[in-house]
Amino acid sequence: MPNTPSVEATERAEFEEDALAYADQLYRIALRLSGSSQMAEELVQETYLRALRSWRTYRAGTNLAAWLATILRNAYLDEARRRSRRPVTEPLDDESDYFLYDQLSGGRFEGPQEALMSKLTNDAILRSLEEVPEHFREAVVLVDIGDFSYQEAADILDVPIGTVMSRLHRGRRQLKRALAAHALDGEEGTGPG
Amino acid sequence: MIAEPCKGVEHRLQAYLDRSLTVDEVAMIEVHLGECDYCRQRYHFEAQLRDTVKTVCCGDPVPGDLVDRVRLAIRQSA
Repeated sequence: MPNTPSVEATERAEFEEDALAYADQLYRIALRLSGSSQMAEELVQETYLRALRSWRTYRAGTNLAAWLATILRNAYLDEARRRSRRPVTEPLDDESDYFLYDQLSGGRFEGPQEALMSKLTNDAILRSLEEVPEHFREAVVLVDIGDFSYQEAADILDVPIGTVMSRLHRGRRQLKRALAAHALDGEEGTGPG
Repeated sequence: MIAEPCKGVEHRLQAYLDRSLTVDEVAMIEVHLGECDYCRQRYHFEAQLRDTVKTVCCGDPVPGDLVDRVRLAIRQSA
């Protein structure tokens, strides 16, 4: 007697294939949340294991990427709790939105953007993002890097949309503060002698 | 001394880049950006900063066998 897969097994396999299409996107989010490629891969694996344990709770036709990102974020929080990797710095919120521009330009620059942007190395950008406290970094990673909307990020983080907007605002400022510090470090390190 | 309209643009610029402003607010910003070098310069910087951060932060190579290893983990846990 031929061993034909059940309807449920077929649906589960289809779900698995649909979900796996988001592996790269989830990996990038995990990498920016955790700061480690090894942990990012572990988080992605854990996300899929959890997703496949509860795949029946996913409602077909809704946003699968956001559903998976919610699971990823919970897995990350569990892991962070286990490792006690919590933010310690409180952000300050008193500077201009043009803080970074002013720092890089010395307040005088009115020339091409490339000259300012070239002061920000890839390494400085990655390190700066890691330095943004976790709550704020999550919002920046989801919206500015993961391309999720405010509402999707609010669903993933399980907070009101206003909280996402506030964290995003403060996270971007924190990122600029860190970028300014790293850009100025770089300038000091490149002088003669 | 920064002019009032410029302060208004600074206040709304991130939301403008997020495309979360009303049609009227967008129009107000775009008219102002068209006539103010100070704000246009900063708008271009902020827009390029977003692009650069995103490009750099998405630039890490995803492990080529990631999906295979996830499949393996799924099979092993079954």
